[in-house]
Amino acid sequence: MGFLDSYRIVDFTDERGLLAGRMLADLGADVIQVEPLAGSSARRVGPFDPDGESLYWQAYAANKRGVSCDLDRPEGRDAARRLCAEADFVFESESPGVMAGRGLGYDDIRALNPRVIYTSITPFGSDGPKASYADTELILWAAGGPLHAHRDGDKPPVRISVPQAYLHGAADAAGGALVAHFARRQSGLGQHVDVAVIESVTQATLSRTLATAVGDPQGSKMIADEAKVAVGKVDQSGSGSGTAQTKWPTLDGFVELHLAMGPAAGQFTNNFFAWLHDEGACDDRLAAVDWCTAPALLAAGELTLDEVARARSVTGAFLARRTKQEVMEASLTRKLLGAPVYTVRDLAESPHLVERHFWVEVGDAERRRVLPGPFARTAVDAFSVRRRAPRLGEHNAEVLGEVLGLTA
Amino acid sequence: MTPELRPFSGLKVLDLSWVVAGPAVGRVLADYGAEVIRVESGTRLETARLVGPFHGGSFAPEASVCYGDVNAGKLGMTLNLKLEAARDVVRDLVRRSDVVIESFSPGVMERWQLDYEHLRELNPALIMLSTSLMGQTGRYSRFAGYGNIGGAMSGFQSLVGWPDRPPLGPYGPYSDYVAPRFSLVALLAALDHRLETGEGCYLDVSQAEATVQFLAPQLADYFASGQVAERLGNRDQAMAPHGVYACAGEDSWVAIAVRSEAEWHRLAGLIGRPELAGDSRFATVADRLARAEELDAIVGAWTAEQVAGDVESLLQGHGIPAHITISSTNALADPQFAHRGHFVELPHPIHGTTVVHSSRYRLSETPAITARAAPTLGEHTEYVLREILGYDDERLRTLEGAGSTA
Repeated sequence: MGFLDSYRIVDFTDERGLLAGRMLADLGADVIQVEPLAGSSARRVGPFDPDGESLYWQAYAANKRGVSCDLDRPEGRDAARRLCAEADFVFESESPGVMAGRGLGYDDIRALNPRVIYTSITPFGSDGPKASYADTELILWAAGGPLHAHRDGDKPPVRISVPQAYLHGAADAAGGALVAHFARRQSGLGQHVDVAVIESVTQATLSRTLATAVGDPQGSKMIADEAKVAVGKVDQSGSGSGTAQTKWPTLDGFVELHLAMGPAAGQFTNNFFAWLHDEGACDDRLAAVDWCTAPALLAAGELTLDEVARARSVTGAFLARRTKQEVMEASLTRKLLGAPVYTVRDLAESPHLVERHFWVEVGDAERRRVLPGPFARTAVDAFSVRRRAPRLGEHNAEVLGEVLGLTA
Repeated sequence: MTPELRPFSGLKVLDLSWVVAGPAVGRVLADYGAEVIRVESGTRLETARLVGPFHGGSFAPEASVCYGDVNAGKLGMTLNLKLEAARDVVRDLVRRSDVVIESFSPGVMERWQLDYEHLRELNPALIMLSTSLMGQTGRYSRFAGYGNIGGAMSGFQSLVGWPDRPPLGPYGPYSDYVAPRFSLVALLAALDHRLETGEGCYLDVSQAEATVQFLAPQLADYFASGQVAERLGNRDQAMAPHGVYACAGEDSWVAIAVRSEAEWHRLAGLIGRPELAGDSRFATVADRLARAEELDAIVGAWTAEQVAGDVESLLQGHGIPAHITISSTNALADPQFAHRGHFVELPHPIHGTTVVHSSRYRLSETPAITARAAPTLGEHTEYVLREILGYDDERLRTLEGAGSTA
């Protein structure tokens, strides 16, 4: 049961698009994952469990039924076309032109099923000068924008160490397909939804990609007019999106803590130094600084950059003697803008996530997996996260029987 | 206002959210035909207005492109929600709305008696989406913060950076990029359910939990075998060479990823080192991964003499994944972004023209129409009160006099 339990989805995607169908499957849709006879290339994407099984596949093909089908042979194509003829949604992530070459492109399927919403996820878009470019995660992170400015000092631009780009594209594909569904509710007709991963990824720059277009090529994050002369760039947003040190070593890892200045978030910094003062870790003078008005104080010379530097070194020394959990507790009780830098283990063991019953177990004795659970909570029967990812061809007979009305 | 069919024609959305993770949802609804009324404080600037880039490069309350991007297409009004009279305006808006979106710290809406239990009494079929850092329940639900904290609490801050340095974290507030995608899908599914059943609902999205969905394989790995994913710089576990290399000229870089032996052989020839193709030290991917640093030096020595865009064209011409790192300046010049119509220009009352990202999906029959730039502070306050809510002069004067619309 779920919000979308009256819809059937045929999902031809590989690792470039697997998440889209998973999101809609979690909301109850019947998602049929189609794989080549040799298995999806997503089954060869790490990490792998001790038996060599892809956890990428296990995570993002979960909740789907699986059929295997050779789309390069007439019988396979025919079966796929018959599946699509009954589908509410189709998702695919082949290179541009590949599905059309198989007679399974949008125009082919629309001729069979004018209601179909057919969503293509491609690295650069379905057409255009770079549509046939070779791609990988790193290439798309470069082409979409979040890589360029992301530096640690003198080192080259650095990516996120786990694949992300296609997930951004796939999550947008799920959203775009549902937008098209609301048009279909009125017209009765489907359409093609074209997602380019580079456009999804550029969202991960906090609009920085737009900077030059509006005459701000340096992409200033936060410049307060009154403080500009005195201190150059001072981030007053509190989001930690533009200033120096935000990661501080603790006894057992790191915490994220931003010494924010200005009206938006200076109060958090005041609270932080009040904590230090209570613990005898800073003097009266630092405790008395009002970080809400710090940009103006700096501009007026009433607060010096040396004093700001001293505040940072006192902060570093204090946090080095604390645990992540202590900072977490203080952030809650004292309203600080700080948090533990969670590792995967911290996440898995978070009492908060346990209390929210976030983790779900799927599968049977044969393959039990623990996965992140529903991405929203609601009192009604909206989500259903139950099924483990299918084995290759696991539901061939069942799907052919049920969906195509044939006996296996 | 447009006669043609739009996916969300007739849908009325009250957007009480702020910063990025909430407002980004309403932007999509507005792009596809919903009427979205964005409410904000006129006295305390909302955080997104403080975040650059800025028109002309310097801060002003109406200059933020970050604010402009996630609020384009919306109507904007100011209300001081600390005042009961202003909250009554919200209640009037709720009565006529299909959807309410909010992102205050958990507990705030309840304190104002604007939580779902109160609002559903005014409008039983209402769909209300709350998006917060940690969700509405659980011991850390009151945890405050922006998307960088969301990045920390979802594991991403630990997974970016160089192994020999402290973690760097993702570029900016990562959960603000990821969470709205999940919020949107949950909301649209709820809306579809309402059209089928007439039933509204409350949706609680934890931005951290939504963001963890992008780490699902790594979590499954931990639960299966105790493996903890670590930051790797630009290394890949299955490709080498794999990195970002400096090119000739200032701050110019190219990303290169070699997926196979065949690509490695071609690359060796293209960088003028054909002998490396037959070098047994680099024969297999395992060999190359073991000597990744050496390979980086070889590739980097070649790129240092090359123009980044030429490297991209040359390697792509031979089927090898390569791309310059896109800055906002070369994004504007990028032929693929141009072909996609990615930079959408909109008339702006102060700046003449502003620019927003295009919709992230191209719909063949009902394309996005971003009707207007994001509202200036209070731009449509009077319009909403007078034309939409039908308030008379006296009521407007009373609200204004009490500071409710500030």
